[in-house]
Amino acid sequence: MDFWSLIGIWVAAFLTLSIYSVLYRDNPFYRFAEHLFVGVSVGYGIVLSVYQGLVPFALKPLWETVTTGAPEGFIKLIPICIGLLFFARLSPRHTWLIRYPIAILIGYGSGIAIPNVLRANIFEQTRGTIAPFAEIAAGTLSGWGVVEAILMVAGVICTLTYFFFSVEHRGPVKWLSKVGIAFLMIGFGSAFGNTVMGRVALLIQRVDFLLGDWLRIIS
Amino acid sequence: MKRQVPLVLCFVFGIAMIFTQFSPHSFSQGIYEEVIRWALIIGPFALVLATVTLIQTHTARIRRRTEHWQYSFVVFAGLIVMVLIGIFLKPQNPMFEWLYNNVQLPMDATMFSLLAFFIASAAYRAFRARTFEASLLLITALIVMMGNVPVGDLLSNDTASKARQWILDNPNLSARRGIILGVSLGVISQSIRIILGIERSYLGGGD
Repeated sequence: MDFWSLIGIWVAAFLTLSIYSVLYRDNPFYRFAEHLFVGVSVGYGIVLSVYQGLVPFALKPLWETVTTGAPEGFIKLIPICIGLLFFARLSPRHTWLIRYPIAILIGYGSGIAIPNVLRANIFEQTRGTIAPFAEIAAGTLSGWGVVEAILMVAGVICTLTYFFFSVEHRGPVKWLSKVGIAFLMIGFGSAFGNTVMGRVALLIQRVDFLLGDWLRIIS
Repeated sequence: MKRQVPLVLCFVFGIAMIFTQFSPHSFSQGIYEEVIRWALIIGPFALVLATVTLIQTHTARIRRRTEHWQYSFVVFAGLIVMVLIGIFLKPQNPMFEWLYNNVQLPMDATMFSLLAFFIASAAYRAFRARTFEASLLLITALIVMMGNVPVGDLLSNDTASKARQWILDNPNLSARRGIILGVSLGVISQSIRIILGIERSYLGGGD
């Protein structure tokens, strides 16, 4: 193992233990690691967004335009100028200019969202919910499959009823809503279980690093 | 100028993005792809502004000598080192990769693994609630967790993983579909309100 790999393991082990030290109580080691994490993460985010967004889509075409004389790349000056308007926030007199890039990004995001959400989340999800009924009509679905198909539709309708506030939840609506809560709790329970397993997997990975790579107690 | 132009810009970009997605013509597809690239160009500027705000906040902490102000220097050190090495030597540089692999990645994983401890106490509190809904949540979580680990199948003769899969594919999926449909309808209505200028909260206060 080379020198820098060894230093890297010791640095990573120190930072890992510093963060876990908060389980006992707040202390200077945890605060150091916490603040370092913020700084390093922000720095990493900036570098990544510059090299994955600004450089390939703006600076590179602009530089090609300057060197070759082709005029197409000059269009990149428009988003660069729009982006620079974000810094108007730093001048109290010109703060209102920040509304321009925000309005463009929000308009862009809303415009992108409408057809995509309609397609992926409404049509496809609805199709997936009622598709098994075509198999029921064709007689190709087993008895248990029919139960699952009915359960699926019932679950979706009851969950939607729980979130439907245009009518008062009384009588049948109340009962549909109560069943909807039960389905939601099963959904949240699944998410909770999967999250716990994901975090425990991370914990096992960190303990494996400390005992294996650092202390070499396990191979 | 201060409020009307942003509303017009929002409308124009919103409508353009909707129509270009429905038109297969090369001109409209060209506009669509170009505007997507524009968003990728504008994004980093917003991130840099956020970083400037972070620097201002920590500079103020140091100036006012608020509690734990010394740690603000640690934020600056991490930020400056990452940005200088990453921007000037490029992200493929071994030094930048070393920092990512031995500083950021371990801290990231450790921070997220901390939640394993906190989630355990959350589960304990949910158990204490003793309501039907809380019990349903915890029993589902328990089955999903047992179905995820080999010991669960060993103890239940493969029933745990089958039960987990059935829960994920049926009641869990129907609840998720209900939530997705509700959220999506909300997203669409809010997007229409934004594009038409009915929803203007993103403009902020003032004139």
